[in-house]
Amino acid sequence: MTQSPTLSRRSAQSGSQLPRKSRQRGADARAGYTFLLPWLLGFIALTVGPMISSLYLSFTNYNLFEPPKWIGLDNYTTLFQDERFLQSVGVTVSYVVFGTPLKLAAALAVAMLLNSKRRGQGFYRSAFYAPSLIGASVSIAIVWKAMFGDAGPVDQGLSFFGINLGGWVGNPAMTMPMFILLTVWQFGAPMVIFLAGLKQIPNELYEAASMDGAGPVRKFFNITWPMLSPVIFFNLLMETIHAFQIFASAYIISNGEGGPAGSTLFYTLYLYLRGFSDFRMGYASAMAWLLVIVVGIITLIFFRTSKSWVHYSGDAK
Amino acid sequence: MINRRHFLTTVAVGTASAAALAACGNGASTSAGETGSAENPVTINYTWWGNDDRAERTRKAIALFEGKNPDIKVNGNFTDFAGYWQKRATEAAGGGLPDVMQWDLSYLRDYGQRNQLLDLGTVDINTDAFDKSLLPSGQIKGKTYGIPTSTNAFAVYYDPAKLASLGIAEPDGTWTYKEFNEFLTEVGTKSNGEIFGSTDYTGVWWMFNIWLRQNNIEAFTEDGKLGFTKDDMKKWWNQTAALRGTPAIISEERVTQLAPKSPFGSNVTATEVTWDNFMAGYLADSGAKELKLAPVPSDDPDNLGLFLKPSMLMVASAKTKYKDAAARFIDFMVNDPEVGQIFKTSRGVPASKTQRDGTTFEGTDKLVVDYEKSIEQYLKDAPEPPIVGFGTLEASFKRVSSDLNYGKLTIDGAADAWFKEAEDLIKQNA
Repeated sequence: MTQSPTLSRRSAQSGSQLPRKSRQRGADARAGYTFLLPWLLGFIALTVGPMISSLYLSFTNYNLFEPPKWIGLDNYTTLFQDERFLQSVGVTVSYVVFGTPLKLAAALAVAMLLNSKRRGQGFYRSAFYAPSLIGASVSIAIVWKAMFGDAGPVDQGLSFFGINLGGWVGNPAMTMPMFILLTVWQFGAPMVIFLAGLKQIPNELYEAASMDGAGPVRKFFNITWPMLSPVIFFNLLMETIHAFQIFASAYIISNGEGGPAGSTLFYTLYLYLRGFSDFRMGYASAMAWLLVIVVGIITLIFFRTSKSWVHYSGDAK
Repeated sequence: MINRRHFLTTVAVGTASAAALAACGNGASTSAGETGSAENPVTINYTWWGNDDRAERTRKAIALFEGKNPDIKVNGNFTDFAGYWQKRATEAAGGGLPDVMQWDLSYLRDYGQRNQLLDLGTVDINTDAFDKSLLPSGQIKGKTYGIPTSTNAFAVYYDPAKLASLGIAEPDGTWTYKEFNEFLTEVGTKSNGEIFGSTDYTGVWWMFNIWLRQNNIEAFTEDGKLGFTKDDMKKWWNQTAALRGTPAIISEERVTQLAPKSPFGSNVTATEVTWDNFMAGYLADSGAKELKLAPVPSDDPDNLGLFLKPSMLMVASAKTKYKDAAARFIDFMVNDPEVGQIFKTSRGVPASKTQRDGTTFEGTDKLVVDYEKSIEQYLKDAPEPPIVGFGTLEASFKRVSSDLNYGKLTIDGAADAWFKEAEDLIKQNA
C-alpha cells in the first residue's frame, strides 16, 4: 500500500542520473524480484526447463527407455518426407484458416447484439458464454460425437429437410465441418472480450454519426471496426494460436487415431501419437519445436501487418 | 481505453508456447527383494487392461491371493487397452512401472529388450504345467520376461440363428478363400445389404500373418527384419478387392460410426474373423443366443497357419523392490485352479494345465475350449515375440487397410505406404 505512491513518484523522475537514486532503484528491483520469485521459480522449473530439454531431445533419437543419442537435424529433415506429418499440417491449417475467422465473426455478432440495453441481458450473456466454459471438456466431445453419428440428432434433423448426409463422424469429408462447428460454438471467451471493447467506444461518436445521417453499416465500418481493432487483433491472435493447439476433442472423437482416413489427424494429435504410441519422443519434440517456431512467425507477421489496420487511442496518426 | 504499451505486454505474456516435454532420470534398483510379514505386509502394485467384468474377476482373484498370502497386499489398477500403453510408456520413462503387470505380446520386445522387465527366470515361478511350445513366446534371447496366463487362437465367428434366417447353411469347417468370399457375398445378397458378410478381413494384421504362414512365410525374420515382400502384401489385399464396396464387406465409414462397438457385436455383420476369447464380449454386445466358431479359410487344407498365442502375459518391472512377492503373485495368477474358476475363458483358455484342469468350462466357455481342441492337429509353434515397435506396425497396418477401404489409397499405394513406415521404423530401432 505505502509502496505504490513512492514507486510512481520515482518512475516519474526516471530521467535522473544521480547514483543515490539508482541504488534505490536497485533495492526496488530486488523487492520486485522477491515478490516475483514464486512465479519465476515455477516458470523456470515447469516451463523453461522442460522446453530447453525438449529442444535438446529434438536433436536426438530419444525413445523414453534408452539414453538419447544425438542425431543432429535428422528428425527435422525426416519430418518433411513424412506423409502423415504433411497430412497433419494440412488438416490443422484448414482448421485454423476456416475455424478461427468464423468463430470470431460469431463472437463479434453476438457481442454486438448483447451490447444493446435490453431486459435480461445478464442472463443472455451468461447463456452465450456457457459453451466456452464446458466446450473444451471431454464430455462435450463425447456428446458431439453422438450428435453427429449415424442416426444422431444432426443426421435425423437434416434428413427431415431432405438432406441425407448420413453420420458425419465416419465420413472423411464431413469431419472438418464438424470440428469447425464445435469451435465456432465455443465463441464465449472472445465474445466477452469484444463486449468489453464495445463498451469502451464513446457513445458520442455514434450520436454524431447518426446526426450526419450514417446508417448501421456505415457506423460499423467507420466507428465500431476501427475503435475495436485492437480487441479484434488480440482475439484473432489468441484464437489463432489456440486453434493450432486443438487436441482433446480430436483425440476423443477419433478414438485417438486421427481417423477416418486421417481427416482428423491434427498436428498435436500426431505429435502425441509419435511420442507416446510410437515412443519416438525425439521426433515428437522436433514437431513441438517446429510448431513453436511457426506460431512465432505467424505472430510476428500479425504484429507487422497490424500497423496498417489496428488503431490505438493516443497514437499520433 | 486501450493503450498500446499495456496491450503489447498482455499479448507477450499471453502468447502461448506449444507442448514441451520433460525427461526424467532413472532411479537405481536394489538387488535383493524386500519381504513382508503378516503383521507388516508389503504392498505390490498390479495393473491390467480390460472392462468392468475383468476388473470384478481380478478383484476376486486378488482377494483370494491376499487371503492365502497375508504378508502381501496387492493394489490393483486398470484402464482400457489404448490408454494402457500410453500410461506404461510415461511410467517407464520416469522409472516407475508397477511391480506386476498384465502384458501383451506386441509390446514384449519394446520393454523387455530395453531392460524394463524383470527376468522371471531369476525368481521362483513354476512353469512345469505349461506346454513347452508356448513358453518361448514370453522369452527374448534366453531370458523369460513374460509368463502366458492363457492362450487364444484365430477363428471365424458366426451367429447360426442369423444365417438360418437368411437361408444360408452353416460353414462345414473347411473353406478356401474363394469359398469364404462367396459365403460373404451370399450373406450380403440374401439380406439385401441389410447385413454385411464381414469386416474386411484383409485389414486384420493377424489374419495376414496366418495367411503368410499358410504360404510358409514368417512375418519377421530372427534378426528383426520383414520376412515378406511388397508383392505378398499386395496379393493379400487383392483377396477382397472385388468385395470392397459391396454388401459382402462393411465399409470403413460404418465401422467408424459404430466404434467403439464392433460391427459384429452390433449385429451389422454376419461373421467376424478374430481371437476366440472375444466370445463373451460378443455375446454380451450382440445379445445373440448362441455364437459359433469355425476355422479360418485356407487354400491348403493341411496348413491352416493357426497357432496358439498367449492372449496375455504376466510380467514384473525390472525395478520392483518386491521380487519375491511379485513372483508369488504371478505364479498364483497363472497356476492356481481357483483363479481359473474365476476367469474361465475371459482371459483366453488357461495356459497352465494345473489351472485348466481345475476349471470347469460350461456353455460358451466350453465352446472356446472345444474350438482350441478341434484345431489342435493344425497348430504350429506360437510366434516369437514380434519385433520392437510392432505395436506401431500393427496400428499402421490397420490404418492403411482402412484408407484402402475408403478408397483413399490404391493397393500399390497402401503397400508402398506401409513398407516405407516399416522400413523407417526398423532402421530407427536398429
